[in-house]
Amino acid sequence: MIPWSSFVQKAQSLIDPANFNIPALSSPDHNPSKASLFRQQFRLPDSQNPLQEITADLVLPLPNSSANQADSTRRVDRPGNTYAGRLHLSERFICFSTQPTSFIPSATASASTTWTGQTHGTGPSGNGFILPLSCIRRVERLHSASHVFSLALTTWNGLLYKQQELNFVPQRLILQLVGSRQACERFCDTLKKGLREGMKEVDSLRTVVSDCYSEYLLSSAKAKGQDGKEADTRQPPDAGLGLIFRYPGDARKLRDRSKMRLWGEYFRENGRNVTLVRQPTFHKLIRVGLPNRLRGEIWELTSGSLFLRLHSPMQYQQTLAKFEGQESLAIDEIEKDLNRSLPEYPGFQSEEGIGRLRRVLTAYSWIDPEIGYCQAMNIVVAALLIYMSEAQAFFLLSVLCSRLLPGYYSTTMYGTLLDQKVFESLVEKTMPVLWDHLTKSDVQLSVVSLPWFLSLYINSMPLVFAFRVLDVFFLEGPKVLFQVGLAILRVNGEELLETQDDGSFISVLKSYFSRLDESAHPRSENPKLRAITRFQELMVVAFKEFSGITHSTITETREKHKGAVLENIETFAKRTSIRNLGPESKRLSVDDLGTIYDRFYETLYQWEQHQRVIEEETRRQERKKSSRLSMLAPPADTQVGRVGLGPSPTHMDYDAFREFLAATSKWAVADSPGPSRKGSSSGKPVSWANRRQPADHEFMQRLYRKWATDPEEGLDLQNVVNGLARLKGSPDIMNNISYFFDLYDDSGNGQVDREGILKISEALLFLSRRGFEGTITATLSVEHPNSADRDHADNSLNTDEKFLGSVSAFIRRCFEYADPSHPENQKTTQEDVTAEATEKLDSFAIGDDDDEEDLIDVDDAKSTNSPAPDVTPQSAKSPTAESDSYDHNRSTSESANQALDPNNPLHITLPTFRMVVLADELLEQFFESYFPQSFHLSDHPHPAALAASSSMSSNLTTFSNLGSIRSSSLSAGSTAPVAGASGGIVPPGKGLRGVLDNIVSDGIRMAAEVKKRMDEAQRDLERNALGREEEEDDEDEDDYPRRGGSAIAIPGGTPSWGAGAYGADTERRSVVRDADRDLLEGAEVLGGGREERSSLLDGKNHANHAPRKVSSSATSTKGGRSSSARDGEVISKLVDFES
Amino acid sequence: MSESASANAPKPSSSVKLVLLGEAAVGKSSLVLRFVNNDFQENKEPTIGAAFLTQKCSLPTRTIKFEIWDTAGQERFASLAPMYYRNAQAALVVYDVTKPSSLTKAKHWVAELQRQASPGIVIALVGNKLDLTNDGGDVSEAAVAAQNESESARDGDEGANEEDDVQDAVSGDARKVSTREATGYAEEEGLLFFETSAKTGTNVVDVFTAIANAIPESSLKTGRGTGAGTGQTSLARSAEDSRVNLGDRNAATAKEGCAC
Repeated sequence: MIPWSSFVQKAQSLIDPANFNIPALSSPDHNPSKASLFRQQFRLPDSQNPLQEITADLVLPLPNSSANQADSTRRVDRPGNTYAGRLHLSERFICFSTQPTSFIPSATASASTTWTGQTHGTGPSGNGFILPLSCIRRVERLHSASHVFSLALTTWNGLLYKQQELNFVPQRLILQLVGSRQACERFCDTLKKGLREGMKEVDSLRTVVSDCYSEYLLSSAKAKGQDGKEADTRQPPDAGLGLIFRYPGDARKLRDRSKMRLWGEYFRENGRNVTLVRQPTFHKLIRVGLPNRLRGEIWELTSGSLFLRLHSPMQYQQTLAKFEGQESLAIDEIEKDLNRSLPEYPGFQSEEGIGRLRRVLTAYSWIDPEIGYCQAMNIVVAALLIYMSEAQAFFLLSVLCSRLLPGYYSTTMYGTLLDQKVFESLVEKTMPVLWDHLTKSDVQLSVVSLPWFLSLYINSMPLVFAFRVLDVFFLEGPKVLFQVGLAILRVNGEELLETQDDGSFISVLKSYFSRLDESAHPRSENPKLRAITRFQELMVVAFKEFSGITHSTITETREKHKGAVLENIETFAKRTSIRNLGPESKRLSVDDLGTIYDRFYETLYQWEQHQRVIEEETRRQERKKSSRLSMLAPPADTQVGRVGLGPSPTHMDYDAFREFLAATSKWAVADSPGPSRKGSSSGKPVSWANRRQPADHEFMQRLYRKWATDPEEGLDLQNVVNGLARLKGSPDIMNNISYFFDLYDDSGNGQVDREGILKISEALLFLSRRGFEGTITATLSVEHPNSADRDHADNSLNTDEKFLGSVSAFIRRCFEYADPSHPENQKTTQEDVTAEATEKLDSFAIGDDDDEEDLIDVDDAKSTNSPAPDVTPQSAKSPTAESDSYDHNRSTSESANQALDPNNPLHITLPTFRMVVLADELLEQFFESYFPQSFHLSDHPHPAALAASSSMSSNLTTFSNLGSIRSSSLSAGSTAPVAGASGGIVPPGKGLRGVLDNIVSDGIRMAAEVKKRMDEAQRDLERNALGREEEEDDEDEDDYPRRGGSAIAIPGGTPSWGAGAYGADTERRSVVRDADRDLLEGAEVLGGGREERSSLLDGKNHANHAPRKVSSSATSTKGGRSSSARDGEVISKLVDFES
Repeated sequence: MSESASANAPKPSSSVKLVLLGEAAVGKSSLVLRFVNNDFQENKEPTIGAAFLTQKCSLPTRTIKFEIWDTAGQERFASLAPMYYRNAQAALVVYDVTKPSSLTKAKHWVAELQRQASPGIVIALVGNKLDLTNDGGDVSEAAVAAQNESESARDGDEGANEEDDVQDAVSGDARKVSTREATGYAEEEGLLFFETSAKTGTNVVDVFTAIANAIPESSLKTGRGTGAGTGQTSLARSAEDSRVNLGDRNAATAKEGCAC
């Protein structure tokens, strides 16, 4: 016999450790991943992944059990059982199953789901074992003639305690691997690694096992056999409240004792708790009902919650300790129900029982805050606590919530609703006559069946029977609930057909449940038949007649109804939350609110997922560095959440808010995609990368802070709705102006200082940089009639450009009419203030009349347009500006100058701000219509569809655009050598007319800053746009013949841009947009394709499971569907390729 | 349940589907239990999904058989509610007079019903736990209270939910929702309005009687009769009275309403 270690060394030398199990990572599975199927079948914790699998024979040695000496002869004669099956290895477990399985990535999808087919009462894992590697004590390689690899596993079974049991023989399993030498060696190598890790966990194994009643049972059996007095040296482990308050039902009638004996025998032969090997007897013993004291342990074992407990044996106690004394909504809700959980059981009329229930529910609400507490959990946990300890119940509850009853107790209870739909459709399929009757008499089945599922029949049937259902449920999974439910209806079919309404329907079933213990055939001659109870009959019907209802039936039917159920829930949730938004929301239309609601959650979920992906990516990067083994963690859950699935995120942070705004307003879309977002370039899904990138502007931050109740916490739907309601809800311009003013009133004292004024103007430029969407039109009245040159310019200027003029005028006027904030000025009496105000009003009016000097006039724009974006032009300008200004408006400029001096703090008040705004037609229109309307809700097409950022560059109204237009018109009319954005020479005289003095220069510096930034942004954008277009042109030049020309026009900019250029530009834009739309449509088709595919599956399955019904017509539709699904696939590939 | 009017000539009988909605722990199930069994339990098993009960209500001209759907109050069960209020002809929206938030929730339910339930549904707004207020104080000491204690299946500590509120209030009046506020809202929305105590029985039967009277004859499946509004029997009047002056009502009158 080759020693294990040398074998391993040999194996290692042959196998490059790098080539095992890595493919598992790279295959991102959309449907239940192989890993999750694997975990489901063997009920393993989420940390486990299928690493290796191999065909093998399990040879069980001769039964070594039995303290009975008489049996010793049998031991020699009886040959061991041999099972053929697959052997699987995960990080911490070795599993063997006779059910055909394959979870290795290379396996086809169909093969990996076969276990979900009929299980013939053996449970999804069939016969075999699920052993934690930590319970394996020794592995030997045996010499074997027929098999190259034959391994003998010796377990810790019965050896974890010093006390030796009588006639104890160590458990030894023989596995004969069938496969190529290399495959076997690879398997063994992985096994060796796992075993080494497993050794660390022997201690927790010992802890966990000590809570198992089986250990006590076997050791005390020995004690009794040896010496009667010594029997109670060890306290029995906690086997639930039943030990104190008696177990429900009559133990004699349940034949508890003989069941116990049978189980004792089974344990001795096949191992107990973690080391148990499942043979057909195991499943039979479960079907006849578990003995009271072992029930908890077997539940724990068959559901897999034992493995969770093994993984972190102290989690329950630690959770309780960690959160001790803390309060939560869940705890309040739990308290309300503690006294009303299985009140008929004496244990729950005592402090002991109620205390246990409280602790388990509370601890669970802490570890799973998404579920918290849901009514019905109290009933289920109460039932569990009759048979198991608190910690056991805690882990079993967690398996229930996550795996056995997915989504049942979530905040939307979508799992419950979904399974009701599934149940209804199964009834329709299996009992069409009854279904028709129910539909006709308008009886809603789910009002009856919902509690069955939600509380696992515990409060529908008498407890004894409900526990029998649970015995099978934990072994075989959720399908059992459906089988039993269908059987109930089948058995009562005739009576139910006579009922006419909900009331009688319910009472038929109620009376049936109360007579479950009676004979099913009371009048039968045959005493055996007479002895069959109604419950037994029910079980037979459930598992024989409805044996066709398998796990895959359920999974597929769930898949089919999931969309509709979630949609229903979401409609309800949306309706309810919109209705409950409060009075403020009434200022918006229902459609608008709906749009806000949808966009709010869409943004949140997208954002959430985006964060998850990034997080996962960084984690993976880190892991790559650290160790290879840990790379095996499950891939990120890339599914985007939705409202229907449970507790939604409720608050958006600032970054998510930006995303929201970008989907709402054009101006919130960034000018240059990509670079502004840190860390997002790698690993993000394609769909995200293609989205519009939100801008980040101070104005948006202000909006965020203004809307948020608590900026730390973020914005909830109510905040967003209220915020938008104030902006869009009233058409009142005054309201909008004062809202805007408030945004910049940092100190809250009704004053905006110099800094604020500049920021306001910056914001105005920011908001207007994508044009006004036709909401603002300049009329002739705004134009300044005093200059011929100007008139000429006006003709060629569009509203966007005029608006720049308005903004510069705004800055100047603000400073002109600002109040000084000096202390001595503040001392002025009330009258002074009013006098001042009137004076101001007057002067304002005057100022308006001979309004000649805009701070950044259209003409000035040219000068601000100078080459270097820094301060250099200022020096060049200043002298001329000064000389110019002296002639004009010295007094004004001086006062304004003073105002700009940082040593003279100043501020404007709301009335001033209002006056300044109303003084300008464009600004007035800005606040009256553009600003509120720039938030697109239901009344406009979703701007995101138009917002592919590359298409926007040309639409930006920037100083550089303006400059180039201006200069082109100039170059036509004058001799001055003017270059556009890159020109450096300031033409003397002409263009400087508007530049006044130092006041202005400060403003200009600001404007130059803005301009510089926008310029850069635009250049970026143009570069991008150009690059992108070139790429696209390469792909399909013929489609967009025009684009090449316009692409040239952008960087050159100046020559062709006049009045006409704009028109050409729009055309260009629309071309790009069309291209974008194509992409979008492609994406839609992609989505559609997916749907098609899933429905194709449905179709197939349908045909499989109800072959009689579907027949030939179905096959034809199937064909049609499959072709359309293929189309979808092809398109999706195309789209992938493109993007 | 028995029908006291059984001696009379058979009256037309029709069934009415009634649904109870409202925040958790406002006493929906207790109201039903009081109405159906004239009983009060400190600790009722929680309603999973919904409970179904029936009770007849004998009016002078006809008999109404209430099919009562008592729904679970926990917030997350709300999405199941449409299943239960589907086709309902009447609804009892219950709040707790000692808990203002429960009235808000009740308003949400009313809005939901008005938009989503069958048109013409008769909605009654019911403020429960009147026994915890001064108005209900006298009543809670009346004969009915004694009866409750004997019938209470389990012992005292379990009654905590309802009793807590009383002890909180220094004055002994735990009322947090004024009758005027609720009446105002009910009038605005065209709802029947009552303040009740399931514990003492105050007004419980009256609520159901008023609903029975308010169900338009046209919406009844069977039966003729003089119509809801016209039959001003003493019974109907007593229900009317109760809406005006709740404090004076004593438990005895509540009992005479329906044949329970």
